[in-house]
Amino acid sequence: MILSGFPRFIRCRVSPLSQNLKQPNNYLQTLSHSTHHHGIVSCLSTIPSKPISSSQLQIPLFLREPIYSATVSDLEKWKNWAKTLVYSVGSKFLETDNGPEVNTLYREIQWLLEDVVVEEQRVSTEEKVVKLRTEMDQLYFLWKQRIEKRRPFQYIVGCEHWRDLILCVQEGVLIPRPETAKIVELVQEVVAKDKGLREGLWADLGTGSGALAIAIGKVLGTQGKVIATDLSPIAASVAEFNVKRYDLQDKVEIRQGSWLEPLEDAKGKLAGLVSNPPYIPSDQILGLQAEVGKHEPRLALDGGENGMDDLLHLCEGAASMLKPGGFYAFETNGEKQSKFLVNFMMNHPKSMFQDVRILADFAGIERFVTGFCQ
Amino acid sequence: MATSSSSTSKRMFSYLVLHSQTKFQHCEPHIPRLIRIGGGGSVLYSSNHNHISSQQQKRLQIKVYSSSSNSSDGNTDFLELSDEQLMNQCEMDTFKSSGPGGQHRNKRESAVRLKHLPTGIIAQAAEDRSQHKNRASALSRLRMLLALKVRNTLDLDAYKPPPELLQILPKKSLIRGSDTGPQIGHNNPKFASGMRSLLDVIYAVDGSVADAAKLLGLTTGGLSRLILSDDSLRLAVNEFRSTKGMKPLK
Repeated sequence: MILSGFPRFIRCRVSPLSQNLKQPNNYLQTLSHSTHHHGIVSCLSTIPSKPISSSQLQIPLFLREPIYSATVSDLEKWKNWAKTLVYSVGSKFLETDNGPEVNTLYREIQWLLEDVVVEEQRVSTEEKVVKLRTEMDQLYFLWKQRIEKRRPFQYIVGCEHWRDLILCVQEGVLIPRPETAKIVELVQEVVAKDKGLREGLWADLGTGSGALAIAIGKVLGTQGKVIATDLSPIAASVAEFNVKRYDLQDKVEIRQGSWLEPLEDAKGKLAGLVSNPPYIPSDQILGLQAEVGKHEPRLALDGGENGMDDLLHLCEGAASMLKPGGFYAFETNGEKQSKFLVNFMMNHPKSMFQDVRILADFAGIERFVTGFCQ
Repeated sequence: MATSSSSTSKRMFSYLVLHSQTKFQHCEPHIPRLIRIGGGGSVLYSSNHNHISSQQQKRLQIKVYSSSSNSSDGNTDFLELSDEQLMNQCEMDTFKSSGPGGQHRNKRESAVRLKHLPTGIIAQAAEDRSQHKNRASALSRLRMLLALKVRNTLDLDAYKPPPELLQILPKKSLIRGSDTGPQIGHNNPKFASGMRSLLDVIYAVDGSVADAAKLLGLTTGGLSRLILSDDSLRLAVNEFRSTKGMKPLK
C-alpha cells in the first residue's frame, strides 16, 4: 500500500542490475548471486519461502554508481530549497507526534548529500561539477517525500548506520534502533567469558535487516554461527543482502519463517538466543510518530493487545531451544514488560532459567531481559 | 573555589582547569559552559558566564581531594585509563527524548555527550549517524580535552620528562635518547599524552618557552615550532601565556 506510490520507479531504476555493474562491485554481484540461489535458504526452512525477486530489492543510494552529475550551484540551490522546506515545517512534527525537529532534519540534508555526492571536480574555471549517485530531480523528489509524506530518512537513503555497521533497509524492514545495540554488548560480555558460548550456535529471531545477527556473527569465535529468522520475505532478502555485504555467509544463515519454526533442527542446541520482537501494544500503533506508524512494517512493531504476544511465545520456546548454560536476551517495551517477563520466567511451572536480569538502555528505560538456561 | 573532604587520609591533587575556548573540528557550536568539579563526595558547580568574572573564567585554580590515584607520583593520570575505565568515569547523555523509545521512535538522535565527572569536562560528538561512532569520537575528544585542560603539578628540581613527552620531541632534542623511537606526530593518538606532559612543563615555568626548551634539551625556536605544529596545543599555550601577560606564539 505504502509501496505503491514511489518504489515502482525506484525499482525500475535499480532493477537492471547489470547496467550498474560496469565496475565489478562485490556487493552488487553477490546480490544478483543471492537471488538466483535463494533455494539454499528455502530448503533449510520448514516453511516454504517465497523469495522476493531482485527487482524488489532496493539498492541504497550510497552503493549506486555515480553516473550523474550536477554543478555545485545546482546542488546549493537544492540545499537551500530543502532547508526552506524544513523551515516551513518548524516544530510542527515535534508538536504533532514528537517527530523530528528542524535541527535533526537539517542534519539529514547533510547526510543525504554525503550518500549522494561523490567528489568535486573542477571541469572549467567557471563552474565546479560534482558526481552524483542519483539525479538532481530525484533529490528533489526524495526530500519532498521526507517532508510531505514523513518517509523515514533511512528508507530515503536506503540504509541505517548502526553501531559500526551500515545496514541496508527498505520499506517492509524495521529500521534498527540504537537501543538494540546494547544486546550486542551483552553478548560480547558473555562470549568473552565462555568459550562454549563463543564457539556455539546462536539464533536471532525476527532479524529484520539482520542487524543483531551480523553484529553477533562478528563477535563470535571461528566456530560460532548465527541462524537468523524472519517471517517477512522482504526482511529475509534484505538481511541476506546485508550478510553478504559483510561477507558473513559462512557465519550467518538467514531462514525465512515464523520465530522458532525454522529452527527445529537446532532444538536444545542453541548457545544463545536473542530477539527484538514486536512489543508495542496494538492500541498504541495509531499514535506513533508518522515515520514509524505510517511507514515501518506493522508486523515488526505490533505485539498484540498488551504488546507481549511474541515475547511470551519466545520465552516459552527459549527453554526448549537453549542448551544448558545457554544465554538469552530479549528487548522489551520497558519496565512493565520486563518485570512481567521476569515474573513469568521465574514462576513458570517448567522454569529452567537462572540469573534472570533486567537491564536498562542508554536512556535508563528497563529495556532488556537476560538470563541463562539451567 | 576549593572543595574539602571529610577524610584527611585522602591525597590532594591540584588541577588547573582552563576554561578554554578551544574549538574542535566538527564540534557542535553550543558546548555547554559548565564545569563541575567533584571529589571526595563533595561536588562544586561553577557554571555559566554570569557567575564567574571574566578573569575567573579564564583560569580556575581548584584544589580537589580525591580518594584514588592512578599513578604513583601523586598526579591522577586520566589519559592512562582504558576507554572502558574512562567511560566509567563519565556520565553519558544521549540527548535522549522523553518517551518510550525503542520501536516507538525514529528520531536519528545519535548525538552523544560525555561528562567526565572527576573534572567536569564535557566532550560531545554529533556528526556521525551512528551513536556508536559518536561515542568513540566523543571519547577521543575527551582525551584531547583532558590533555589540554587538566594540569598536573611538577617538581622542577627533580624533573625528568616522561617517555610519552620524549616521543613527541624532535630528534634534535638533547635529552631524547636513541631508544625513544621515531617522533610521534599530532595525528597519532599517543600525541595527547605527550602534549599533556609538555603543557605541564610550560605551566610549571609560567609560560616561558625558553625555560621549557632548556628543560627539554631544545632551542627556543625548536620548541616553538613543535607548539605551533598543532592547533589545539598552540591555542592552549597562547591562552595560558595571555593570562601571564605574555605575547602569543606565532
